[in-house]
Amino acid sequence: MSDVLRVILPVLAAVGLMLTNGVVLIYMLRKVLGHLHLRLGPMHVGWHGVLQTVADVGKLLTKEDITPNNVDKALFFLAPAAVFVPSLMAYAAIPFSETWRITSLDTGLLYTFAVLSLVPIGVLMAGWSSANKWALLGGMRAAAQQIAYEVPLLLSVLPIVMLSGSLDLVEIVSAQGGYWLGFVPRWFVLHPLGFIASLIFLVAGLAELNQTPFDMSEAESELVAGFASEYSAMKFGLLFLSEFSNSFIISALGITLFFGGWTLPWIPADWVAHIGPIIFMLKTYIGIAVFMWIRGTYPRVRIDQLMSLGWKRLIPISLSLIMVTGIAMKVVESVRGVS
Amino acid sequence: MLPDATVVKHILAEAGLADTDVQETTLGLVCTVAPAEVAPAFAALKDSELDFVMLVDLMGTDTGEDIELSYHLRSFTRDEELHVKCTVAYDAEIASVWNAYPSALMPERETAELLGLTLSGHPNPKRLLTVDGVEPLLRKSSLIRTLQEVRER
Amino acid sequence: MTDARDIATEVGMLAPEGTHDPGLPPAGIRRAPEGVDGLTTEHLIINMGPQHPSTHGVLRMIVEMDGEEIVSAEASIGYLHRGIEKLAEHRRYNALGTLMDRGDYVSGIHGELASALAVEKLMEIEIPRKADYLRVLLSEINRIASHLVWFGTFGLDTGAMGQFLYAMRDREFLVDILESITGSRMMFNYVRPGGVLADLPVGMDAQIREFSDGFDAYLQEHHELLGGNEIFQHRVKGIGTIDRDSALAFGLSGANLRGSGVAFDVRRDRAYSAYDDMEFDVPVGSTGDAWDRYMVRMEEMRQSNRMIRQCLDGMPEGGFTAKVPKVLRPPAGEVYAAVESSRGETGIHLVSQGGDTPYRFHYKAPSLAVLQALEEILPGHLLADVVMIIGSTDIMLGEIDR
Repeated sequence: MSDVLRVILPVLAAVGLMLTNGVVLIYMLRKVLGHLHLRLGPMHVGWHGVLQTVADVGKLLTKEDITPNNVDKALFFLAPAAVFVPSLMAYAAIPFSETWRITSLDTGLLYTFAVLSLVPIGVLMAGWSSANKWALLGGMRAAAQQIAYEVPLLLSVLPIVMLSGSLDLVEIVSAQGGYWLGFVPRWFVLHPLGFIASLIFLVAGLAELNQTPFDMSEAESELVAGFASEYSAMKFGLLFLSEFSNSFIISALGITLFFGGWTLPWIPADWVAHIGPIIFMLKTYIGIAVFMWIRGTYPRVRIDQLMSLGWKRLIPISLSLIMVTGIAMKVVESVRGVS
Repeated sequence: MLPDATVVKHILAEAGLADTDVQETTLGLVCTVAPAEVAPAFAALKDSELDFVMLVDLMGTDTGEDIELSYHLRSFTRDEELHVKCTVAYDAEIASVWNAYPSALMPERETAELLGLTLSGHPNPKRLLTVDGVEPLLRKSSLIRTLQEVRER
Repeated sequence: MTDARDIATEVGMLAPEGTHDPGLPPAGIRRAPEGVDGLTTEHLIINMGPQHPSTHGVLRMIVEMDGEEIVSAEASIGYLHRGIEKLAEHRRYNALGTLMDRGDYVSGIHGELASALAVEKLMEIEIPRKADYLRVLLSEINRIASHLVWFGTFGLDTGAMGQFLYAMRDREFLVDILESITGSRMMFNYVRPGGVLADLPVGMDAQIREFSDGFDAYLQEHHELLGGNEIFQHRVKGIGTIDRDSALAFGLSGANLRGSGVAFDVRRDRAYSAYDDMEFDVPVGSTGDAWDRYMVRMEEMRQSNRMIRQCLDGMPEGGFTAKVPKVLRPPAGEVYAAVESSRGETGIHLVSQGGDTPYRFHYKAPSLAVLQALEEILPGHLLADVVMIIGSTDIMLGEIDR
């Protein structure tokens, strides 16, 4: 295989995965929410509506692309791309199995968070350039919220990094191999400190994703459609797609960091070695289903409550968690050193 | 339910409105005052022992010769209701009573708009329900189309 | 109580008396303040509605905001004005119900009942006791159905989408019951001057009882799912407070008035139809915030369910309508009849000069009073609270615009 292909093929694979993911996740969202709400969701296009999303994508692609008067044209066109590209880039470091990954990075965790933090810029661009007050409010909210929640999100994974001693996602997964007491898998979610970290990760992750109960930027009962108000056709499709892709990324990160990635407990590793990616995808989809469950049930918090939760609760908690982890590790080390 | 007519009369007399007509009708106890006396009458009734704290509603009727305004007061401490009426000419200017009863704000705007009156002393005397140029709909002179006219359109 | 003028000035409604200058922007719209430290900020004026998803119909709030905080709010209405009052002057008395159905279209029975009561009062018609019971039964069924719509949309306003559909599930039972009895799901035209349209169909008693037995448990479930949620409580408690004096001054009625601590219920204090036979409690709030209004409405549904059972148990024998002429010609006179609708006191002020149509038909809409109060309580809240406060007051644009 030539070097060029070696670079291009994984990128194409990532794009393909992202688009397919989008289609599948939209169908899944409709079905999961539908059944949570005592209704059926799409039922008519294909068996149980499986082709509904495909039809919708066709519709989005062929719809008229409306550019309202008075918009800042350059920003208005750039914004969907500025939202879409970082969420595509984030796929690069996700390890689907020990060998299935687009690129191998020693600092994969850091990289993923770095590219994800570019998303709010695009959202703010979309909100600002739309020349619409609802969109502006949505964009401002999104920016404020994502800046506030990036910090606890990053801090919440630091204990994991300390426990596993690496920023490489593959190493973090392999640090979760083996068992405590002989039968409890060494997943970080079952570790007392890791459990608290996983809760913070869940809350901050939901906020980072703009998902209920933190869907400030597109709170449909307040801001109509938030930053996406003025977008139509595939530009809207891109904004929508990157949202689903982001929830895939966050779920995948959560699975990698806390739920042992592509591994399964109690089953010999070589049995499942070849279906690692499938296990990983299944676990990720279960994670996304949990997000959707929360979305279908919870009311939304208010913007000031959201901010005070982020700055006054989550950041102090995650900072002290890092301190406790450090102390605990030193204590364990010295106890082991003595014995 | 109905306040004592003599007490109402007495309160109004103390406020300087002598010889007010207070009658019991099918509507309840109705007290008729002159347009200029509505505001002082309300001030007196509100602060009196009858304690009419709420203006339930107000409405206007085109009687054919003039417009009759009807205010509906309610007291919760004594559980009593009183109707106050006054008659104004077409296109007259009526004084807002929102100082005594803020609940008059919107019904007054509506009444003025639908009966072609002008409001004075109202903080926001804009039209409420219809757009500019719509004739006062509740006047008897404003006709709605008959079936015949609809057919002929 | 304090002077109403003080209340109005306190809540920042209006310029002090006499200072209003027609050249200034209308009260409610103020100009941006001078900048602090050389920074000039501008207020954002936003049109909330008439096509906004959570203004419950076609309400348009012109909201002036400083960042996310409301500086002033002004309601602009009339998008649904159909001239019900004018049309009524051209309708015969037994056709008034159809107009009232379209006023407050979520609880139509109450509107019909108000107009029928007014006509009966004017003509002094004695109606059979059974008709009274049927009216109360239908009123209470309709009240629960209407409150469930409120509950669902209130949940939707907070972002809890599930609530809406769960509430609709229960409402569907009620709407089916109403349809079996009246023949229509929303526009009933069931209550007529002189009685009601029809008796309960065969087997309806059992169907209503089945719903009634299960409903208390459903209601508890709803309340635990939404009201028991801490996020919801944080959103609702302490916002949109209307104290007792302001509530009286702005003429609120119904659950909004009771939420502010005034125990006035037309059903109890001006008992009409068969409400003097009913045993029910009037729930009252203490602070008058959105949470109190929420709790009052939830309790009202429970009480309504109690009354439904009492109606079925005490349903008298006999006819369901009095003998009334085909064309009603009440004597000249003037009456006011009020009922406790789902939104408050719905009153009909009817003026007759003889003849077969009303001379003047005035529809006192409880939601209009709420709208005046809203303009005053919204400033100082955040944008997200606006939808919550509007949701908590349960306004109905059909009856505001008439």
